[in-house]
Amino acid sequence: MATIEERVKAVTARVLKVDADKIKLEDSFAADLGAESVQSIELVAMFEEEFGIEMEEEAALSVETVGSAIEFIADVCKQQGVEA
Amino acid sequence: MRLVLLDIDATKRRNFDPLSLSRPIWELRCGISSLGEKLVARCKPAQTAAFVVDYLVPTTRARSKWPVNDVASLDGDDLLLVSARLKADALDALDTGGPSTVLTAQDGEVLCAWIRKEDLARLKKASIAELLASACAAFRPQVRDLPVWNYAWDLVLANPAQLTKDFAATGKSGIEGSIEEPGAIRGSRKDVYVAPGCTIHPMVVIDASNGPVYLDQGVEVHPFTRIEGPCYIGPKCILLGAKCREGMSIGPMCRVGGEVEESIIQGYSNKYHDGFLGHAYVGEWVNLGALTTNSDLKNDYSSVSVVLDGKAPIDTGSTKVGSIIGDHTKTSIGTLLNTGSFVGAMALLLATGKPLPKHIPSFAWFIEGVVSKGFGKGKLYETAKTAMSRRKCQWTQADQDMWDAVFALTAPQRDEAVRKGRKMMARQ
Repeated sequence: MATIEERVKAVTARVLKVDADKIKLEDSFAADLGAESVQSIELVAMFEEEFGIEMEEEAALSVETVGSAIEFIADVCKQQGVEA
Repeated sequence: MRLVLLDIDATKRRNFDPLSLSRPIWELRCGISSLGEKLVARCKPAQTAAFVVDYLVPTTRARSKWPVNDVASLDGDDLLLVSARLKADALDALDTGGPSTVLTAQDGEVLCAWIRKEDLARLKKASIAELLASACAAFRPQVRDLPVWNYAWDLVLANPAQLTKDFAATGKSGIEGSIEEPGAIRGSRKDVYVAPGCTIHPMVVIDASNGPVYLDQGVEVHPFTRIEGPCYIGPKCILLGAKCREGMSIGPMCRVGGEVEESIIQGYSNKYHDGFLGHAYVGEWVNLGALTTNSDLKNDYSSVSVVLDGKAPIDTGSTKVGSIIGDHTKTSIGTLLNTGSFVGAMALLLATGKPLPKHIPSFAWFIEGVVSKGFGKGKLYETAKTAMSRRKCQWTQADQDMWDAVFALTAPQRDEAVRKGRKMMARQ
């Protein structure tokens, strides 16, 4: 089963149309991967769909890097009792 | 006699969503005045009081000249209790010189009640609900088929006739503002009232040949505007080369351009640019982006249905119904709204080039063709604060508390739409 990191990178690659292998943990969604505001909203929605979780949108949208997103999602999964 | 306006039926008032989410039904407009103003004008009470659902009490109190949800107003005078949904003319059915009387709808809802002061002593009145129950027990309610407003589109459909009636009731006529030449008034000048402080630029046509035109104080009309009666333009509105077709009621401080027909705009909203708005009811603080257009007629001329709850369509019985748009909603340039669209309050719509779904929940961010949670309500509140400050109005803690309640109230519809949106996004 894919790890949270692999799944976050796969979703990010699909939404932002970038190569998953080239996504680094320190990459900023906006500055490095080119996410515009609408795509940020789409990313949040797609992470929710991928992991079966509900994220508080303002907190989720304040996450800036891929690594932070992985930690944030792992935390939400734990809080909501979702196995990731 | 004290008139007591009632908007306490939490279920029936939802038929006026999204407009009633943020205001009592008696503040809704039809013709020149609000439903509450019509009831007051009809009853001519010595005093007026009002009762509304709990979450609307602080904001209603802040802008009302009447006591709101004050049980002290249920004593000390003859009481005429009236549902805000009751049409003013229906009060003819009640004899306010006679004994205490309760008139109800078939389902038992009290539509109006006349309670004499001397009868109040034997009624329980710790709350409005208790008083109504006590009055029903004491006076044997009569079931009557009284005319009521059932849905927001009822107000839109009744608007042209109500405008003509209200204009006659004002007794106003004539030009008290300034009209710059060249311009034209078609029809009788008796059917036109231009209030003091109005400025009508050159090249404006006021056509009162099919109904009266009432321009309230401080209205500014820019060149190449055509205003067809019956029509009411509220205080300090600006018309920007607009094609104002018949049957329009526009509340205060609006900016209106493009083509508008048989619609009601509550107030403080902008439809600055080109685009068609027909048979619509638009709330307050709405901004319709350039070229936002609504359909109000189906291609097969069949009656229009509206989906109020996100699930079941309601047949309006009318072939002409446009959009119902809640307060603080913003549309992007080029937004296309389907016939009979429900657009919730505090929603943000980004056009896709296609007509949007017929139901957009409150607080929804409609982006990339689906409903999402967007940047959340905090960002919407920030925008609302900015929009209000531009018109010298203040966003208060009471406003925020009220909108928080609306957010919770509308969560089921929104959450379902967001779930569907996520699935659609994932398939793309």
